[in-house]
Amino acid sequence: MSKKRSGIKKTLFLTSMVLPGAIWFFFLRYLPMAGIVLAFKNYKVYPKNPTFWNNLMHSAWTGLKNFEFLFATTDSWIYIRNTICYNVLWIILGLVIAVAFAIMLHELTNKFVAKTYQTLMFFPYFLSWVVASYFLLAFLDPTRGLVDNFLLSKGLEKIDWYNTPKYWPVILTICNLWKNIGYSSILYLAAITGIDTTQYEAAAIDGATKWQQIFYVTIPNLRPMICILLIMNVGKIFNSDFGLFYTVPLNSGSLFSATQVIDTYIYRVLTATNNIGMSTAGGLLQNAVGFVCIMFANKVVKKIDEDSALF
Amino acid sequence: MANAKVKKRRINSISVPAEIICHIVLILFCLLCIVPFVFVVIISFTSQDSIRAIGYSFFPKTTSFEAYNYVMKLGDQLWRSYFNSFFITVAGTFFTMLVTILYSYGLYRKDFKFRKFFTFWAFFTMLFGGGLAPTYVVCKTVLGLSDSYWAVIIPMLLNPFNIIVMRTFFQSSIPEELIDAAAIDGAGEYTTLFKIIIPISKPGIATVGLLSALAYWNEWFIPMLYIREAKFYPLQYLLMQMQTKVDFLVKNSSMIGAEASNIVSDLPSDSLRMALVVLIVVPIACAYPFFQRYIVSGLTIGSVKG
Amino acid sequence: MKKRILAVLLSCTMVLAAVGCGASSGGQVQIGADSGNSAQATSEGGDNAGAAEVDAASLDPVTLKMYFHGSNVTDDSKVMEEVNAYLKDKINVTLEPIWGTWGDFDQNAVLALQGGDDIDIYFTCSWSADEYNKFARDGYWVRLDNPENNLIEKYGQDLWNLLPEVLVNGATINGADGYGVYAVPGYKDIATQNCWDVNVDLLEKYGYTLDDIKNTDYYGFEEILKKVKEGEGKDFYPLLVEGAVLERMVDNTIIVTGDSATGNFMSYYLDPTDVSKPGKYGNKLVNKFETEEFKKFVDQTRKYYLEGFIDPAMGNKNQANDTRTNKQLSGEYLIGTQSYSLGYELQASQERGIHVEMVPCTDAYVDTTSSQGAMMAISTASKNPDRAMMFLNLLNTDPTLMTLLNYGVEDIHYTKNGDGTITFTEKRADYQPWTNGVGNVTILPPTDAQGVDFWDGFKSYYGAAKEIPVLGFAYDSSQMESQMGAVANVVDEYMLSLCTGTVDPEEKLPEFLKKLDDNGIKGIIDDANSQLDTFMAAKGQ
Repeated sequence: MSKKRSGIKKTLFLTSMVLPGAIWFFFLRYLPMAGIVLAFKNYKVYPKNPTFWNNLMHSAWTGLKNFEFLFATTDSWIYIRNTICYNVLWIILGLVIAVAFAIMLHELTNKFVAKTYQTLMFFPYFLSWVVASYFLLAFLDPTRGLVDNFLLSKGLEKIDWYNTPKYWPVILTICNLWKNIGYSSILYLAAITGIDTTQYEAAAIDGATKWQQIFYVTIPNLRPMICILLIMNVGKIFNSDFGLFYTVPLNSGSLFSATQVIDTYIYRVLTATNNIGMSTAGGLLQNAVGFVCIMFANKVVKKIDEDSALF
Repeated sequence: MANAKVKKRRINSISVPAEIICHIVLILFCLLCIVPFVFVVIISFTSQDSIRAIGYSFFPKTTSFEAYNYVMKLGDQLWRSYFNSFFITVAGTFFTMLVTILYSYGLYRKDFKFRKFFTFWAFFTMLFGGGLAPTYVVCKTVLGLSDSYWAVIIPMLLNPFNIIVMRTFFQSSIPEELIDAAAIDGAGEYTTLFKIIIPISKPGIATVGLLSALAYWNEWFIPMLYIREAKFYPLQYLLMQMQTKVDFLVKNSSMIGAEASNIVSDLPSDSLRMALVVLIVVPIACAYPFFQRYIVSGLTIGSVKG
Repeated sequence: MKKRILAVLLSCTMVLAAVGCGASSGGQVQIGADSGNSAQATSEGGDNAGAAEVDAASLDPVTLKMYFHGSNVTDDSKVMEEVNAYLKDKINVTLEPIWGTWGDFDQNAVLALQGGDDIDIYFTCSWSADEYNKFARDGYWVRLDNPENNLIEKYGQDLWNLLPEVLVNGATINGADGYGVYAVPGYKDIATQNCWDVNVDLLEKYGYTLDDIKNTDYYGFEEILKKVKEGEGKDFYPLLVEGAVLERMVDNTIIVTGDSATGNFMSYYLDPTDVSKPGKYGNKLVNKFETEEFKKFVDQTRKYYLEGFIDPAMGNKNQANDTRTNKQLSGEYLIGTQSYSLGYELQASQERGIHVEMVPCTDAYVDTTSSQGAMMAISTASKNPDRAMMFLNLLNTDPTLMTLLNYGVEDIHYTKNGDGTITFTEKRADYQPWTNGVGNVTILPPTDAQGVDFWDGFKSYYGAAKEIPVLGFAYDSSQMESQMGAVANVVDEYMLSLCTGTVDPEEKLPEFLKKLDDNGIKGIIDDANSQLDTFMAAKGQ
């Protein structure tokens, strides 16, 4: 009897803890979700009382018409391919490099130097893509760029960077890693710091080398964090960093075959049409794909390691 | 005790050559990270004439303070906005952390009856959203957010990503026995969380705190939507306004006519862009070590046993 | 009682001022008819204002919110105090301005509109995000000449009599409530005239004169460009172009309103010798990139590019604007492209420190885009459309109110000079709405920089601008949105680099045309042409 009561009490307390957040989610996230129906409507003003909700209710249903624009182009395949390939590549590279950096930082003997490195690694996170694009331009500018001047001084042919798509997968990859590694390695580093040091001591006493400790202590302990970040990144497989693909190549048309991704395509369509239904439809499709992928990834992770799964 | 620690470190650390390699890799990467920022600082002190003549360069022909002077013309508004940003960041981070910790602690507890439901409740919002216009309408009409600090803090209060990361930190650093032990000692749920769990989760809390502080500090879009009174402008928005104004005018000068080109010709547009970055980054970069203290050295889990 | 006398006195002086104003512009020959109208209209405005004064007390007090574009206002307290005191006596209205800036207007105004915010009056035009034609079709604007509730007839007579006919024609469009007027057009620089922007100092340095430019065209610039390039060295690019503008200048095509955000892939050809007539394709819209004119143009541009006359930076959208502005300001060009507004050459000469002259490609003309350059629309979400119209009428006809709202308070933000011009004080820095975005600028006093007869010159220049045959037409793409999106992406991919010569047209132009076809450009052009036919038929009646 008393055990049951304490069970109810516990549930009550824990519920009270999540409640403020839950309420916030309700108002700020779930209520606006009513707007998703915009994807299936032709949003028009309801002249008698044009509030948002009235407009929404009285607009005509259009079925899937708002989604058509995503596939009305001969370039659908290109932007889908680009979006997914870049994402897959960057999820893998990002994971490996960020974990490696986190372990390195953790293993350095001089903590002051480690802190300094870490601070510096975070700087790109502060710089917007616009600023980064100017920096890149200083190197790749067709007339005054450092790289082309270097090539010319060596008697080599100069490269028209902003009109030659083949270099851009590499350039974009470097840019993406440059900006995000600092951010994700700090998450891994914090997770490593949380590992119980007695585990290392025990391993050391058992005669494990540093490499063995990394493989048998650090990485297994990082597994929940790796899995969670992986799952969440998989959920964004159909999204892309707009600024990176739009601003960094200076919006150059000749590069579209390498830089057009779903977000830039939608953006370009919407500046042309400014249709709120279409923008909602585009976002909804991205989210739906992400949702399917994330559920799948979660299932896979759950099979391998129950505890590391998202839910 | 201190002696023992040093000794332990020496025994259980990587070999010298391996450490040297680590240093080289990290130094190279750090250079890659810091050089663009140095570049930004240099451009911000470059005169517009020099930019027009030789473009962006590490070695400008002439230096000048014109961009900073231009920003300083904002006068009191600039300092007011610095204060606003500071206040919003501190207050916002505090509330964010409070609600985030409470929520993710609930999700962390395996014996919480509604754990699955609330996990999904938060997680689902990470994927699906109503879009900008409906969110705007809810904030404006249902919640009545406008022209106050709350109007910036509330819309960004929670981030499901942070909640899930926080939960994962709890998972990987707090042994479940600890909670059982606390329960047996008769500690209430709140006491357990605040007296036992939070002190030993400092690395995770500092990390999530850092991320949300950065988010508050960098935010300009939400203030743009909900704040019209200049006295509440945070710094980032104030400066962003300058920037977007310049961009817009340069782009649309043919539509707007002579007036636009008039304004543009008065602006140190390129160096201004960079000066704004400097003004935003420097304060937060200074605050960074504060968080970092907890992340890098962290508190060891020793307290579990004690 | 005292107040009443004051008001009568005030309205009397206003009538006098208005008559004086009308008389001075009556001296102008070109817009004789117009100025007659305006004199009459303004004096009527004065009378009405007097009448409204009597009524003001009987009107319920109302607060109007008005969303401006492009403002730079940090302290409006003094101005609003005066404006509202003035408005209270006139129409019992309190004005609550929202000072949208260049940076935030597009995002915020659209959200406010979509969200149904209680804002009464919005700035709108052909180039802002709350685009006049589209938002009229979607039902965001109140139709002002709605037969059931004709606001213009009721409250806007004075204003309508004062506006030039081309402006009204440009504002008359197909909207949610039929063919009519959905916003009050602002009387500002309403004409389009594309000009070669010539650096005369440099030109003369190489022994040429302005006549050498005037007597030839784009295809004849080569010799001059070559000589200057040789003289100025490898890093100098004599031809400073905006790709899209250059194409319009060379081919004498106009912006077709409704596809401007898609990169203007539709062309309407004008007769360069008489802009009030259509060019060789008649009253038809054509695919811009298919014509022989376009082919000839891109071939020549490529040639110029390869000879080093055009900066490669012009081929990148994001880089082009900055580079162009910088080169203009440092005077590092010989011939540029410029969409002209009155007095620009003087202003440019001053800014750049060189002697700048403009060589027009055609006469000035009024097209839909330029006539819709700045407007004020009443939102359908407004609770008081009647009062909003009353206010707009007053704002556009009453010099006192216009000057107050636009230039601020006398002796604080500006001072009056003996000759009728005004001089801004330092305080003006705190209060700078975008002049053209507020309303009818022609009732403002001239500034000392503009000179005493500025507005006379203004009215004669813009009054003389000819109406193109398709004025008022705006393409409604709502049936073709998917195709528009697809085509917009293709245009983005090829157009700028072709129009600046940075890619080889031999290879890219056929590729471009094929891709446009594959993405359904033909369907859009056909749709647009059938709309144009209907429009022309309606206009002809």
